Amino acid sequence: MAYRARLKEFQDILQEDFVQLIKLKKLAFNGIPDDQGLRALCWKLLLGYLPPERESWQDVLNHDLVVMPGSEETNGDCTLLDHPLSINPDSQWQTYFKDNEVLLQIDKDVRRLCPDISFFQQPTDYPCSQIVNSNDVKRLHTRVQRSVLKCANVERKGLGITKIALVLKKAQEDYQPMTEGQEAHWEVVERILFLYAKLNPGQGYVQGMNEIIGPIYYTFARDQDAAYREYAEADCFFCFTNLMSEIRDFFIKTLDSTDCGINNMMVRLTNQLRESDFDIWLHFQQLELRPEYYGFRWITLLLSQEFPLPDVLRIWDTLFSDENRFNFLIYICCAMIM
Amino acid sequence: MSTRDDEYDYLFKVVLIGDSGVGKSNLLSRFTRNEFNLESKSTIGVEFATRSIQVDGKTIKAQIWDTAGQERYRAITAAYYRGAVGALLVYDIAKHLTYENVERWLRELRDHADQNIVIMLVGNKSDLRHLRAVLTDEAKAFAERNGLSFIETSALDSTNVDNAFQNILTEIYRIVSQKQIRDPPEGDTIRPQNVEPIDVKPTVNSDSVRKQCCQ
Repeated sequence: MAYRARLKEFQDILQEDFVQLIKLKKLAFNGIPDDQGLRALCWKLLLGYLPPERESWQDVLNHDLVVMPGSEETNGDCTLLDHPLSINPDSQWQTYFKDNEVLLQIDKDVRRLCPDISFFQQPTDYPCSQIVNSNDVKRLHTRVQRSVLKCANVERKGLGITKIALVLKKAQEDYQPMTEGQEAHWEVVERILFLYAKLNPGQGYVQGMNEIIGPIYYTFARDQDAAYREYAEADCFFCFTNLMSEIRDFFIKTLDSTDCGINNMMVRLTNQLRESDFDIWLHFQQLELRPEYYGFRWITLLLSQEFPLPDVLRIWDTLFSDENRFNFLIYICCAMIM
Repeated sequence: MSTRDDEYDYLFKVVLIGDSGVGKSNLLSRFTRNEFNLESKSTIGVEFATRSIQVDGKTIKAQIWDTAGQERYRAITAAYYRGAVGALLVYDIAKHLTYENVERWLRELRDHADQNIVIMLVGNKSDLRHLRAVLTDEAKAFAERNGLSFIETSALDSTNVDNAFQNILTEIYRIVSQKQIRDPPEGDTIRPQNVEPIDVKPTVNSDSVRKQCCQ
């Protein structure tokens, strides 16, 4: 079908008062056009963030929500009851230090997000003003920044002459924080992931979640409609949460062997392979090449590390439109082997 | 490497472990493909690559396994440690915490890997001289105390990367080839079937068993 005709079909479906999800899924399954922020809007519908009733969209999207993880914490508070060395499990300081461990991991990973494109290192047009105008105090990554004591060689040459050689060298970082008033996209992603980890303490942050949130945030933060783009952070948080509710079991070690855990998905992949290409399946068996060695990452990350970002977006159009999530993912993985 | 990939005398499996971000994946890619990526993605699940080297005229094929640093992925399969004869335990010389966690990784190895596994402590990112947070002597002393070999590497400028792998593979080769002299492989000698090897346990002297005092 010609591109324009496809575009028109999408517009027709999305303009109805009640968006027919079945129709949308059928259409989006074959890819969503890159134009006019269609992908962002469709994903919000497909991930169940926006309801099909058009008139209620404004309520959902009308966020007054500004969440600032860490802003309520009373760091710097030292009393007899609570202090940095307190071993009381209710101690706010204890929580603060535990959170920092999670944050440290997130910080490492968001700085490694989509390194092949510059997008995440660019400043966002919509920084969180309370944070970026705080002299860096409220920036999340400053909580886990490594500080080094300054030292200098002091040489005394005769009476009254002292030479202080202060050497300050720093490694150049690509994912550098922005100047006051600006915020890079990776800082926004860091905030969303940290908030998610705080709100889901049973799961916390697991490496790889950055690769799930990356494509969603990228899509929303590049929406052609500025009114949507402005709320990319909040929209992304909720869509990420919804998507995680479907795939979070892949990230939890204790659920590996349950029906919805990763092992079962890998069994499904093996079975599909046996059905589709017995010879390859047999060959893999003989080599003892188990799906843990190749398919684990494919499934956990919904293929987001296997292809360039534009291709990942296209694949996700289909995955999100899959009525029986994530059957089609298994098909793709199987096709990748054959 | 001039040898064909499927011709080798020995195949050794070596695992890379250590905190996330210390450069495990880059050590792997530097050794096996002579590649380094400043902006590599975090490793999810397991990855592996091979390279063959020569020791004493024998071709040793090293199969090197790399995994994510985070707890969730360590035990994804017991298979990660299964059959591993060597481990490179990597820390970042510019991040002290990654060095402090070395003890945790040693425990992990004790719990999951073969007890005879050869372990080498690797201080990576030695190019970051001006940011050094772990002293060479300190790490060396720690390695000696724990019976590990030790080396500092830089996957970025290639310093010592080949040496690190060469050393550990040679060490493994020496152990394996000596073991072969001691215990010839099955079939080489004729053994009566009904003879069980006798396991002589050290005698426990009851006097030397420590008594609890002041209970």
